[in-house]
Parts: sequence; structure tokens; C-alpha cells
Amino acid sequence: MLKVENVHFSYGDRPVLRGVSLSVEPGEVRVIFGPNGSGKSTLLRVVAGILRPDRGRIVIDGEDVTDRPPEDRRVGYVPQRPTLFPHLTVRGNITYSLRNGRGDPDRLDELVKLLGLEEHLDRRPDELSGGYQSRVALARALFSDPRVLLLDEPLSDVDPAAKRDLVRRFREVLDRAGVPTLYVTHDPWEAECVGDSYTVLLGGRAVDVDTVDEAIERLKRGAGLGEGA
Amino acid sequence: MIGRYELLGALFPPLFFLFIVFPLVVLALNLTPQGLAQALGDPYFWSATFNTILCAVAAAVMGVVIAVGFGYYHLFKRDSVIYRVADFLNDLPIALPHTVAGLALLLAFGRRYFWWLGENGLAFTLVAVTLAMLFVSYPLAARAVQAGLEEVGRDLVEVARTLGDSPAQAYARVVIPALREALLGGFLLGFSRSLSEFAAVIMFGGNLPGRTQVLASYVFTRVEAGDLEAAVAASVFCMVLSLVMVALTRSLTGAGGLRRAQG
Repeated sequence: MLKVENVHFSYGDRPVLRGVSLSVEPGEVRVIFGPNGSGKSTLLRVVAGILRPDRGRIVIDGEDVTDRPPEDRRVGYVPQRPTLFPHLTVRGNITYSLRNGRGDPDRLDELVKLLGLEEHLDRRPDELSGGYQSRVALARALFSDPRVLLLDEPLSDVDPAAKRDLVRRFREVLDRAGVPTLYVTHDPWEAECVGDSYTVLLGGRAVDVDTVDEAIERLKRGAGLGEGA
Repeated sequence: MIGRYELLGALFPPLFFLFIVFPLVVLALNLTPQGLAQALGDPYFWSATFNTILCAVAAAVMGVVIAVGFGYYHLFKRDSVIYRVADFLNDLPIALPHTVAGLALLLAFGRRYFWWLGENGLAFTLVAVTLAMLFVSYPLAARAVQAGLEEVGRDLVEVARTLGDSPAQAYARVVIPALREALLGGFLLGFSRSLSEFAAVIMFGGNLPGRTQVLASYVFTRVEAGDLEAAVAASVFCMVLSLVMVALTRSLTGAGGLRRAQG
């Protein structure tokens, strides 16, 4: 289980997260909505340990990891751009965590099959389309056997036609993984397909909502949280 | 009629050809068969060529190695005093007169502190020639790595760290391989800059024919001796070597890569 407790974070004098709290159960995919600059990516980077919060706690499976560096958190992270290691093949990218004793080599076949990467294992990232790069990035994060998964607009580079198939695949893979997942997207349809629960981030504060429509309504109003984004 | 805004563009071709291309063309036109035969038959010309290439390769390799270390600080320790000092001093060898650099090297690595290595310390040896070349060429390698890091992006490191890498592991396993082009560009630029170095080399390494003489000082010696034809032949050889290096750098790293490294 992932718990984010009263997290504050500022870039210099500019506060980005102001007391964000949320929790995600194992197997739950919580979609984070918010306008540009609302702190969605910052929140994911704080949970990953890339950024250190000014205040608050990050708790994973009951363990306070706030002071731990990213390498000690066992968090799977897919940044906005797929960011594959350019000198490694698809296979090398997916199994990268084996170098650090993480991941099970026997899981490779299953992940590759689920994400439709069988034909691409020996290719380099620059030979892949945006959609396939996203698949590899997700496979790499999952292969490392994470306790939490953080996906920051993982399908933003994918064209709409390919997205339909990919969203379904991603949902299936995430169901099987069964780890708490934070999923950032701007696309309501994508959110509806992959999400179990929804959080709107506005003005540095997080509000849980029940549906995608409610999230969009909140975003439109903006002032629902008492301030502009 | 040319407007004032078009004037700069119109002035470029004549100025460029007059001040940059014309001297090179004149040098090439002054090449004579006698001068060529004289230079190619001179054993000191060949030892100078050998010294130049050997020391320039060594300096460029050392420059890249140090630049890789600088890159680590650029990525992970940008707030440290060491990084700030290094970043500031990276431009110093470009601005500093190279005679001053040579004198500094002579005082630092000469007999005063390195008497135990010989009568003159490291001075007037091929090691001195290499260190002089390194001093003036390292900034180019450092800037090449710095420019490369801006392109590689921090995302690679961050992802590698979530997969279990420490900062040093992420740098070695992910960043350095992704910097191949920048490192190659840094090596070639450092090598090219080393080929052309004269002042720092002559101050610290000396100009001992057959021992520490390099092509740049060989040309100087031939001119001083009034042997202009041999000097021109050696100069044209240098020019061709430099053009080959520039062409190689551009073809391997792309013209954009070369500009990034220089900028």
C-alpha cells in the first residue's frame, strides 16, 4: 500500500505541493488529474525519491521511505517521455534491474507477451515507435518487481489509433501486477479505462473524486478548492 | 540596392575569404617540390610528426577521462564548491595566454617540486609536451561532455536509480554509454587543439629537435633558420592533418555535435 501524508514541496520560493495526502491500495490504479504546472509530475518524483519533500511522509507497505534514495525504495517509474536506455536493446532495457539483483528472469516471457513485444526484443529504442517505447518502459518498470508503480503520462507519445489497444493492454498488465499505481494523464477516456479511483491536483492540493466527470468538473471550476491553479 | 540589414550578409563572403581562406590558399600555393622533398627527407620532421601525434592522442585521452569525471560533478554535485570552481576554471585555459600556461606548468612540474624525477623535473620531456597540450585542450572535452549531458537529460539517471542504481552506477552504466558521441567529439576536438598548440608546448616541453620538438615548433624552427620552403611544406602537412581531423569530427559526431562541443 502507498500512503502520501501531508506532503509539501517547493521549487525555491514557489510552493508546488501544499499538504498533499492520498493513499493507494494494492492493485488499485489511482489517476491523477490536474492542469499543467499543478504538480502532478512533482508528486510522482517525490514518491519515487527523486525529489525530497519539504515536509510530510511517503509510506510504502507500512514503511516510511521519506529519507530513502530512489534506489532503496523499489518503485517502478515511467517518466513522461518513455526514456529508454539508448545503448541497450529492448531486452536489455526490460531486464536492466537484474544488474541490481531485482526482478525474476522467468517473468520476462510473460511481460513480453502481455505487452506484445515478442518481435522487438533485439531492437534498439530508436527503431521503435512511441507506442512500443511506452510498452518497453512499462515492462522495464514492472520487471523490477516494484512495490509501487508511478506512470507519468505514459501514453502521451502514442497516436490515438494505437492508444485504444495500448490502454487495454496496460490495464490488463496493471491488473496482473497488483501493485498500487499512480497514473497521471490528461485524457479522460484513458483515465476512465485504466483508473479505479481519481484525484484532482489543483493549487498544490489534492482532492479525491468519484468519477472522471467530477474530476473534469473540478478542473473546469478551478475555484472548487478555493483558489486558482 | 543593398539595405543596411542585408549588409552583414553581403559582407560575409569577402571578409571570410580574405581573412580566413586567403591565407590558407597562399600557404598551399607556396608549396614547392623542393620544400616538400626537404621536409620529407628531414628525420627531425618525422620525429616532430611522431611526437605531435603521440602527445596529442595522450592529451586527448587524458582530457576525456578528466572530462568524464567533471560530467559526474555536473550531473550530481552541481552545488559543490569543487564543481563551481571547475566550471569556472574550464574557460581559463582558453582565455589565458598560452605562454603563461606554459610558464605555470614549468614552475609546477619543473625542478622545484619534481627535482626527484631528474635535473629538470618533468620539463623538456614528452610528458611535458603532453601536459601542455592537455592544459589547453581539456576545456574542449569538458564542454563537449557538458553539452552532451544537457541532451542526454536527467530522466535516464532518474529511471536507472529507481531500478536500483546508485548515482555512480547510473552514470557509468547509462550516462557514459549515452554520451559516446559527445566523448568522441571531445576526443577529436582535444586532439585537434593539441595538434595546433605551440606556446605552452615550447615553454614547458621545449623545442629539442628529435626529442620534444612537435610540428608547430618544427615550422617555427625552419622559419627562424630561413628555410621557408621546408617550413611551408611542414605547414601544409599540418593543415591537411587539421582538415582531416575537422572532417572526421564532423562526420562522426555531425556538424551539430561539433558546434555543441565548442559552444
